[in-house]
Amino acid sequence: MSKLYDTIEPAVIDEQMLKQCVEEQGPKDEAGRIANQEGIDFNEVLHLRLDFKNILKIDNLWSFTNLVRLQLDNNIIEKIEGLNTLVNLKWLDLSFNNIEIIEGLDKLTQLTDLTLFSNRIARIENMDALKELQVVSFGNNLLKSLENIAYLRRFKNLRTINLSGNPFSEDDNYKSYIIAHLPSVIYLDYRLVDESLRHQARDQYEFSIVELEQEERELENKMIKEKAIEERLQKEKRAYVEYLDGPELFDQMVADDPEASKLSYLPGLADKFVELCKEIFQFGLKEHNKREEECNHFFSALNDAKNENRCIGIDAINIFEEFKKATFDDIMLTRDVQVVEAKLQELSDKVQSLWNDLMGLEMQLVDQLEDTIKEFERNMAEMVAAFIEHIQALFAQCRDIENQHFERATEIALETLEKLVKNELEEELPDDLRVLFVDKDTITNAVTASHDAHLVKIDNKEDDMVTRVNNWMRNMTDQVHEDEVKRNRSRVLEVTHLIDHYRDEIDSIESQM
Amino acid sequence: MYHIQGSQGIPPGNMEELKKRLASITIEAPKIDLPNDIDVDQLPLSYTQNSQKEELILSYCDNFKKQFAHLYRDRKPLFMTPLNECGIEKLICTSLHPTELPYKELYTYDGAATFVSDFLTFEPLTPTTEPPNILCSSTTILRRQKGNSFDFSMLLCSLLLGVGYDAYCVLGYASRETTYMDQSREFCPLITQQEELVEVEATKEQNKYTVKPPKDLRSKYLRDQDKKRVEEIKNEENKQKEIELKRIAALEKPKPDPLHGLRVHCWVMILSGKREVAETFFIEPLTGQARSAQDDNYLGIECVWNNLNFWVNMQDCSEGVQNMIYDLGDPAKWEFLFPNVDKPLLALHQKEDDSILDLDDDEEEIKDEQIDLPPAWIEAIEISRTEYQTRSPQGKKTILYKRAKLEKFAEYLVRDGLITKLSIFDDIEMKNVLKTKEWFKHRKDKLNLRCYDHTTGKITEEFSPGRIGSNIGKMQALKEHTFQYSAPGPENERVMIFYSPARVDGLVSREETPTSMVETFKDRPDFLYYRATYFGSRAKKFGPAKKYNPMTESERPILKIVERFNRNAEKLADDDVAERIFQISDNRIQLIYHLGDNRITASKREFLKPANAHDKGVTLSMTPDMTSTFQVDIHQKQPKLRHLYEMLTSLISEELKSIDAVRASEAEVREILIDRSKEETASELSISVYDTDRNVKAKLHREELLRQQREEELHRDERELDYLAPFLAQIENAENITRSNAYELKEKCLQDLKQRLIDQANLIQSRFEKETQELQRKQAWYQQNQASMQKEDEEEYLNYCSEAMFRIHILELRLNRHKELAPHKYLALEQKLRSDPRLAEFFN
Repeated sequence: MSKLYDTIEPAVIDEQMLKQCVEEQGPKDEAGRIANQEGIDFNEVLHLRLDFKNILKIDNLWSFTNLVRLQLDNNIIEKIEGLNTLVNLKWLDLSFNNIEIIEGLDKLTQLTDLTLFSNRIARIENMDALKELQVVSFGNNLLKSLENIAYLRRFKNLRTINLSGNPFSEDDNYKSYIIAHLPSVIYLDYRLVDESLRHQARDQYEFSIVELEQEERELENKMIKEKAIEERLQKEKRAYVEYLDGPELFDQMVADDPEASKLSYLPGLADKFVELCKEIFQFGLKEHNKREEECNHFFSALNDAKNENRCIGIDAINIFEEFKKATFDDIMLTRDVQVVEAKLQELSDKVQSLWNDLMGLEMQLVDQLEDTIKEFERNMAEMVAAFIEHIQALFAQCRDIENQHFERATEIALETLEKLVKNELEEELPDDLRVLFVDKDTITNAVTASHDAHLVKIDNKEDDMVTRVNNWMRNMTDQVHEDEVKRNRSRVLEVTHLIDHYRDEIDSIESQM
Repeated sequence: MYHIQGSQGIPPGNMEELKKRLASITIEAPKIDLPNDIDVDQLPLSYTQNSQKEELILSYCDNFKKQFAHLYRDRKPLFMTPLNECGIEKLICTSLHPTELPYKELYTYDGAATFVSDFLTFEPLTPTTEPPNILCSSTTILRRQKGNSFDFSMLLCSLLLGVGYDAYCVLGYASRETTYMDQSREFCPLITQQEELVEVEATKEQNKYTVKPPKDLRSKYLRDQDKKRVEEIKNEENKQKEIELKRIAALEKPKPDPLHGLRVHCWVMILSGKREVAETFFIEPLTGQARSAQDDNYLGIECVWNNLNFWVNMQDCSEGVQNMIYDLGDPAKWEFLFPNVDKPLLALHQKEDDSILDLDDDEEEIKDEQIDLPPAWIEAIEISRTEYQTRSPQGKKTILYKRAKLEKFAEYLVRDGLITKLSIFDDIEMKNVLKTKEWFKHRKDKLNLRCYDHTTGKITEEFSPGRIGSNIGKMQALKEHTFQYSAPGPENERVMIFYSPARVDGLVSREETPTSMVETFKDRPDFLYYRATYFGSRAKKFGPAKKYNPMTESERPILKIVERFNRNAEKLADDDVAERIFQISDNRIQLIYHLGDNRITASKREFLKPANAHDKGVTLSMTPDMTSTFQVDIHQKQPKLRHLYEMLTSLISEELKSIDAVRASEAEVREILIDRSKEETASELSISVYDTDRNVKAKLHREELLRQQREEELHRDERELDYLAPFLAQIENAENITRSNAYELKEKCLQDLKQRLIDQANLIQSRFEKETQELQRKQAWYQQNQASMQKEDEEEYLNYCSEAMFRIHILELRLNRHKELAPHKYLALEQKLRSDPRLAEFFN
């Protein structure tokens, strides 16, 4: 396969090779000296060059998580692999290797430059994740079919492309085909694309391109529509009323009921039921909006309070900083030990009072927030309770309807049975339905079973809604409390840290004196 | 006025004596001095004569006047038919000539009023209690550019009627200030009163979750006491202020006017309805201001008129014009001269109202006939473009306001482009100048406004966008420049404000003092928004004190540079520098980072700069004790020394860049100042390409075009020369050409052409021959002397030969061409002669 195989042993990317490269390519001079002292972590490295190393397999690069630029050119790599952890990679050079298939690039979403020059690629594929791609080179490969170009249309930022040296480059229409099909490209095969050429190419392939564009647009529209539907569903889910805006629940009820289809000609249930479902749906959305608004109010108030408190704190610190600076300046100027001592004493008093102020502020905020959170919790609980109550009432209505329906169904069934027995039935019953009308017990059982199944469905739905809304509330309040505790901890820590820092400063000044 | 007493008071015995005495009195019409600067002969006939129609109307007016005087003995005689500048009686309505002039400004009432007030110079009436004896035509007034309130009003009214306003001249009584155009009690409209900023309190939505404020533990009683005290002090201050204001007002109060209510004035009224005028209002023609119809400067109205009719006011004027009603169709309030005017007569209560004049039978007839007003006797108003642009006589006008003096100049009149100058004074006598404002136009340096503040000694200059300095390609984009009058040089106190979007560096303002410079920026990609530089004093040099020269003087040492940055959302708060302080004097660099969300403390970092930091080629050595760090986040790892080292090196280069930027700023200030002083001395004005009078280049171009056009025409005339003319001239009877004549003409013409063609051919031939002979001769001479020839002569000969050959060749070509073309020319002429309209009939 490769001319080098017989002569030179393929190399493996190992710790030693990486270390050597990093050191060689790392900082120079003084920075290099310091780096050597400290050592360089692989995850700090931004650029790595592994060229002319006879590497056969890409491996052991997982620790270079911040790598931006990776050069693996002039090796004997056959497969793109082991790059999944390098998510920050922007620049990848794999030219002059033996790669046959494009693969393993799915995680490199930041990639802007990709070079696969002089490989054995016959097909452009598996690059959907590279949304940011700007520069790409497929020169000197085995691309035969111009159809490959259509794949590149999805990269909207593509500006520079190199495709020379492929079998299809011999084609007379090669240039114009590419120019026509990739309108965003500015440089093709190291040259600026001429504007007149672009027009010409565009005219040449007008029909096929218009068709392509049409297809793309349709696809896009479809995606948008699907997205919209999905969004709507998500919103409804948040309001716990998904699949209630229409006959879905009823259909589901009926669908899972083996007897229903047979009894389906029996009239009456659907309309009223669907209406009730819609009511639940509307109510649910309304309540959801109300809850959301309430939450917004609460969180905005919370943020306002925090911000106000924060501003006061910042001001206090700034005032202290000014004072500190002035005091330090004074101390630098005076040589009188007593004066210095007095000044330092004053300063440490100020630090103490700053600590008091900041902690006082924090205590005050905690009190304020606690009250507010309690109030919010109370309101929310009330709201949710009211919501559940109303929903339950609506579901009770559903059950009533189902009961009525059951009664009438029984009645009709018995009547029909009677008629059937007397052979007075005008219309022909379908065969599978006729099976049920054997005797009274069978038909009654069938209707009862269907009824029970319906009731179970309704109960399930109700339970589902109630549990979910309760869970939501519990989670949210827990989250609020947790956040508040975290905030308080971090603030206290921050203040303590700051005060410690100030005290250290004073101490160091004192010791200097 | 001659009053003759009634006869019953005189005893009969004295009758004879009285008769004698009376006989000795010769009554003469009062002598009226006609203006002597008018050449009556130059004026059109309508100025010096009355047409028949005018005479008729005048007699009608006479009748009206007599009846009016009879009915209302206490009213003043009507100012209806004043004499014009030629001493001819004219109906005042026909002295208005509605005219629309081709200037955009004159299309609106305020523009027209300002123009009239600027264009004419005011002369007060003498005496002020009587209308003028003579009312000159507006055309004369325009020529003289001088006039009284009547002349102002008549001109303005003509212009306003021309552009469709429902305008009237009003004769009435006004205050002394108004009649003398004395504006010294009014505030200048150009002084904008500083509006007190109404603090818009953000109406914050009351949120039910808003946290309760912490308990206020201070004493309420003490707070109330404090409040009371503050209020008391405020009240006291207000009182003081009021007293002071009253005192000033009393000082400035005008003296009482003995002639109050008697001073005659004429102004313009615009009634609502036309040109979207919603409310009736007055225009004071002397100042060009619009005034409300209730203005208390106007004290009464005698009569109003426009170009169609004349109305006498019948309403009571004891309360000025406050309650006046301007429904001209109401004959109880307004007595009309002509009943036929269609417009305003709304409610004509025929004969029920006794205030209507008893009309004679004759007039009844006239009324039926619909009186036809004679056309305006004055010519159309014309104002040339230069007059329009010069505006005031000599292009200058001065108005005195209360504590302010306003001077207006025509565009391009003053060499530095000054158009308006406003001086604001401290006192009513106008002795202490507070401020001077000068507006400029058409200046090349884009200066718009210069404002001297005499109390602080500051000058503020404002510029239009698009200022480019002498340094081509660099946008100065200076917007405002404030500096001390006494210290205009660099490194003094000054504030410069720039058009930041026009500048590459986004500079908004630059404030300087002798020891500091603060610059603010906007929308920079590096988020810098503030840079303050503090300078130390220059090292003192010994030696004789020289005059300060910024070009040779060493630069001021920089002590400290403070730079502040906006938050860059892409970075973490702990990596995003908020403030960067280069303590250049003690080799320290301080960094303060941005505050994180919900943080109250900011990270800090300080570097000690190695002493050799700026030496070239020296590698910096770095030890951990050169930096100190305060990190907000305790859990964050301390950065590696290598990072800190990189940070330090980059900071050192940043410091150099900042210093360069500061020096560049200083240089720019100097450059701007030099530019400014150059511009001030040159003070060039720019001339628009559309300004055909002033733009010399455009003018030359236009003249050139005209000249070309004229030449073109000349050429065309030549082309159309009649080829038959010389031959026709030989024939005696050129109009009637006979058949034989025609043939003869044709023959002659063709003959002539043939002759000329032959002559031409001969000429070419002879030249050709001459040229050939010459060449031959020269060749022969060369053959002979070839041996003894100098090289130069030989060269000369060769040159000559080639030139001669060329000439011969050309002549040959021409001859051939001529031979070829001549028959064609001949045939063409023959064809032309055949189809010539004068000869055509004979050759068909």
